[in-house]
Amino acid sequence: MLNEWLLAFARWLDGFSWSTQLHESFYMYAWIESTHVLTLMVFLGMLFIIDLRMLGFAFTGVPASTIAERLDLPMKIGMTIMVLTGFVLFFAIPVRSTQSIWFRMKVILMIGAIVNALIFRRKMLAAKGSAWDRDAKMPGDLRVGAGLSLGLWSAIVITGRTIAYDWYDCFQKLPYFMYWAAGCVDEMAALDRQGG
Amino acid sequence: MDVFWFFDWLDTSLLADISKAYGGVFAVVQMFHLLGLALMGGSVLLSDLRFLGVVMTDVPSKVVFDNTQKLFTLALVVLVLSGIFMASAVALKLYYNEAFWAKMAGLGLGILFVYLIRKPLFTRFDHDSISPAAVKVAALCSLTIWFTVAASGRWIGFS
Repeated sequence: MLNEWLLAFARWLDGFSWSTQLHESFYMYAWIESTHVLTLMVFLGMLFIIDLRMLGFAFTGVPASTIAERLDLPMKIGMTIMVLTGFVLFFAIPVRSTQSIWFRMKVILMIGAIVNALIFRRKMLAAKGSAWDRDAKMPGDLRVGAGLSLGLWSAIVITGRTIAYDWYDCFQKLPYFMYWAAGCVDEMAALDRQGG
Repeated sequence: MDVFWFFDWLDTSLLADISKAYGGVFAVVQMFHLLGLALMGGSVLLSDLRFLGVVMTDVPSKVVFDNTQKLFTLALVVLVLSGIFMASAVALKLYYNEAFWAKMAGLGLGILFVYLIRKPLFTRFDHDSISPAAVKVAALCSLTIWFTVAASGRWIGFS
């Protein structure tokens, strides 16, 4: 059911002339895509430095809360640009993205990363004034959060990159489960008819 | 100096056998390239914005520089190694690609700038003894060079 709804939503977006124009314009699409990718340097760059500080690999001489607080704004600026350009990229190619197993994995991983960030953030804010704020290595739960953050964002980068590959696109011959996971509604129906 | 022989060799090397045959391996290596980009961009931005007085102004610039320089070198190694692997998949195409040579020119300039000027300047001298204008010019040069390298690198994919 969800697959049908998502596909209907994607087809509705696809009906806008702006969507097609964006997709077909060489420079505009390339500029937005480049902005999305290059903003990795601002968003993930800051995030990595915060995570590496928590793990005791960088800026060990500076209190952890100072790093987290000072880099918060640049990180959020980068995040805002990535989210906005990400939505525009999705709007330009809605149907194929909705039916991309990689895009779906990326969205699930992002939800995981957001949940982790919210938990991690609360603990990090508690660091200020604590006895261990100046320690090179943070307490175990903060290190787990930082490690998870690095792992999840690495996975988000790779799934983001692999959206461009057509290995598991709907037009490929795939098992039923893969069609379901990618939301290839029509292909599932075709297999159902064959089976029935 | 014509370096065609290098690209010709790379195109038929063992690396190329792997990078051309296994899309999945290529994608994983490219992930490391992108993570390296994030780390390098993060360290360049952080140190240069500190020099420009935009972020972390309450932390001494020496501390920011020393920490980010280590991350920069690590990121550079990851980027160059993963970059050579990625190049092996399309070596001959790259030889004739303008965006690729723009990137290589920027990269060469950037490496010379970092290890011959930026690093000696900010490691050997007390930061307060350097003219504030020189510090800012160095920061702007660094930002410009590395942004050009990253942007022309992305453009290789479109050209």
